[in-house]
Amino acid sequence: MKDALQFSSFPGALPPEVLEVFTRFMTAEITTLGKNGCPVTWPVLPIYCPQPFQFVILTSIGLLQKAVNIRRDGRVALLYSEPAGSELSRPPAVLVQGVGQAPDRLMGSLEELDPAVQQAARAQALNLVRKQPGMQMYLANPISRWLMDWYFMRQVITIRPQRITWWPEGDFSQLPATVEVSHVE
Amino acid sequence: MWNEIARYLPEFSSGVLTAYDLTGMPSSQRVQPRMDNSTQVLRFAVSPGPAIQPGKACLLCHRHDEKLWNLKSFVVQGELAQDGAGWLLRPEHFIPGMGIGGLNSYLRFVRSGRKNTAEYLNRHNMPRPKVNWQMVIDLMSPEKGQHES
Repeated sequence: MKDALQFSSFPGALPPEVLEVFTRFMTAEITTLGKNGCPVTWPVLPIYCPQPFQFVILTSIGLLQKAVNIRRDGRVALLYSEPAGSELSRPPAVLVQGVGQAPDRLMGSLEELDPAVQQAARAQALNLVRKQPGMQMYLANPISRWLMDWYFMRQVITIRPQRITWWPEGDFSQLPATVEVSHVE
Repeated sequence: MWNEIARYLPEFSSGVLTAYDLTGMPSSQRVQPRMDNSTQVLRFAVSPGPAIQPGKACLLCHRHDEKLWNLKSFVVQGELAQDGAGWLLRPEHFIPGMGIGGLNSYLRFVRSGRKNTAEYLNRHNMPRPKVNWQMVIDLMSPEKGQHES
């Protein structure tokens, strides 16, 4: 394991193939800790924000257990291990461990987010609609809107990385590389 | 529960195992679980990387296609342990996710989302917010996206 590197040296301290995973993977697997301490992991669409180095998840209040868990216990893991849709060939698998924050506040509009996160969220949405061109038509349908309005009522989860581990070519049988992130400047 | 695992696990070649590491943080990795029907546990080899501890753990199996359609997922929570044959997960709970149960899974997703949302709004004494659909559509519009960014 390498020594801890200053937070300000990220994301530049990470190899380009790891950063490519953050920008190109469509999904990752987030783990939060339940009331009884048992981990629970679900797929999410994370938003990677290079400056400041963080990961953001906009979670629906209809699927709020992740945020509730984080408010009780901030320890979080985010694994990028499903490359489908990334158009990358043999990318590394990347594990981000860190501390999550999830204020109990409903997001009114995208403009409430930090400009860098807004930009990353827009890029993610454009990528999604490029993959799913029928999405705009679905969202224009009044029945879809009635059924799914809750899906667009969101809270913000922010993950501050403390440790990044990656397995080259996604091969978990090999020893990974690890970098600690120091938040003491 | 074992019957549900037996029904759905063969559809996945791997799953995401999460347990606690030695620093007390949750740590995830991909494993290739195989069913041990005689003892009703899931067995797998773990990565030589981050050391994980026996105890509470979970296994997520999920997949989607290149266009993020055909979602399918489930979670098995249980107890992670080691015996003479290696690492194993003793299942305690099976939690169905998207795509488990065909059309019912979509209905379950919509129904629970609406129910959870109503409960949240009631608890916070909030009126149901109106979604700004134009903003959502604009967000997904290449022209608007480029113009506004």
